[in-house]
Amino acid sequence: MSGNEAFELVTGRGWSRGLGNLSRSGLARWFKTRTWWIQCLIWGGSINLLLIAIAFSRQSSQTLYGLLLIFGIFASLFPAVGVVIIMQDALVGEKREGTAAWVLSKPVTRHSFVLSKVVSNSIGILATMILVPCTIAYAILSIYNKSPLSPLGFLGALAIIFVNHFFFLSLTMMLGSFFNARGPVIGIPLAILFLQQNLIDFLPILRFIFPWNLSIGLGTGNSLMFSLMTKAPIQPEQLTTLAIIIIESLLFLIVCLWRFNREEF
Amino acid sequence: MSLAQPYVIETQGLSKNYKNIQALSSLNLKVSHNSIIGFLGPNGAGKTTTIKLMLGLIRPTSGTASIFGMDSVKQSVDIRSRSGYLPQEPHFYEYMTARQTLRFTAEFFFKGPRKAIEDRVDEMLELVDLTDKADRPIRTFSGGERQRLGIAQAQVNYPDLLILDEPAASLDPLGRRDVLEVMSRLRKYATVFYSTHILDDVQRVSDTVAILNKGKLVAQGPIEELLAGSEGVIYIIHLRGDIDSALKLIQSQPWVGSIKTSQHNEEYIWQVSVSDPAAAEAQLLKLLVNGPVLVTEFRRKKYELEDVFMQVVEGGQNVGK
Repeated sequence: MSGNEAFELVTGRGWSRGLGNLSRSGLARWFKTRTWWIQCLIWGGSINLLLIAIAFSRQSSQTLYGLLLIFGIFASLFPAVGVVIIMQDALVGEKREGTAAWVLSKPVTRHSFVLSKVVSNSIGILATMILVPCTIAYAILSIYNKSPLSPLGFLGALAIIFVNHFFFLSLTMMLGSFFNARGPVIGIPLAILFLQQNLIDFLPILRFIFPWNLSIGLGTGNSLMFSLMTKAPIQPEQLTTLAIIIIESLLFLIVCLWRFNREEF
Repeated sequence: MSLAQPYVIETQGLSKNYKNIQALSSLNLKVSHNSIIGFLGPNGAGKTTTIKLMLGLIRPTSGTASIFGMDSVKQSVDIRSRSGYLPQEPHFYEYMTARQTLRFTAEFFFKGPRKAIEDRVDEMLELVDLTDKADRPIRTFSGGERQRLGIAQAQVNYPDLLILDEPAASLDPLGRRDVLEVMSRLRKYATVFYSTHILDDVQRVSDTVAILNKGKLVAQGPIEELLAGSEGVIYIIHLRGDIDSALKLIQSQPWVGSIKTSQHNEEYIWQVSVSDPAAAEAQLLKLLVNGPVLVTEFRRKKYELEDVFMQVVEGGQNVGK
């Protein structure tokens, strides 16, 4: 390429070629557009307004434990819907709109394309759907408790919420690598999200496969997140579930990379 | 660019099937350095499939494509780092501005310095006349403006190989002229491979043409050779005077194949088919001018590309190399 002497050329040859540029662009889409504050507003508003309404209404007879349980449901279940909707667009949207084909005509590996979606969306989700709304929730819960909750326990709870969301992020990404239609890519994760309790009731072994017991756990005992916030003893079964969900999420991503590598544009 | 490889593009038996449909059948194509090759064919002929195979966006069912001597499947990233590509229907991120799109594209090739990248972006915006729209989101762009942006992003790295899929499709005549000018200018530095339906454009700027029909290469060669037609080189001569002796003189030349004669009013019209175009070019007119006839018109018969295209596509003929 003559005429490019003034430039420092990108010369990497490995799997990560283009990852930095794509990740920066993905992060810019989250944080240099209206996306970040819209997401903060939606999740910060919905989680915390409901929490305030329940905690401080005159008829309220909630205990702190009850409120923490409700917080776990609000912070895990509702934003996971948002995660699925955002992530279906990451692969299926780009395949359908033709932007994936355009980007992949540049010196970019397919691994970089997929991983940049994971990196930028994980950071965006962590910041706008977990850290901002849950920090506000921490303040509300501490005010209600009239003393600060254990910050370490609460941080642990946020990590569990992230694992929950990452499960749905990676599942949706994997489905997006197999399908070109949005229906199954949104439908399957949402069906798992809302039917996991029923499925666990039907087949208890599934409690290790679905993330229900990590952050919600209603009807099946304490969730790991609840144990962390209340400093209750952590059961070995909770840790087993955590390990399996992390491994499952990584497997989803490996399958996604494998499938996307075979995709034709 | 290294000239160790004789061809920038070389495909061997390149084929692509989609289920039961053969999109491309055993394509053998060679493209030399610094040439402008027009890639022609009716809709569905396999032009876009060929381009995507060259860039590694799809995998061949059989055969190979070598670009800069590199395999299009195993070394597609390296190939793309030296190429620029304009898709048939360019799709960009709608939330980005034209400037952001060019910067984003440039950063796949260049780490810095920042000023040089910004200068290159400005240069590309100017090249396609989008400077005044540089900071508008792409969702507000017309089809022609998107096409211009597509042309700019394809050149942002000063590629050794520029692949354009229907570059003038949605441009007005002025835009079309500009694109052809850009392509002509790039000849010095790069090889330009472009598909189009606009035969007039091909005839104006290309030096080589390849015609694809139903997934098969039916013609390839220098444009002059294709335009000379399959009948060989023919000279059209209008003359008056002592025709018989002139006819004998010309017929006696070893490089003359056949002469068809006709008459229009007092003028005779010859179609002289020659086997050695160089000898004919040097001697034919001289022989006639020095003889007993008055030459009123002398020209080499030229075919329009459209004639050749129709001939090979409709007639199923193979032309060229």
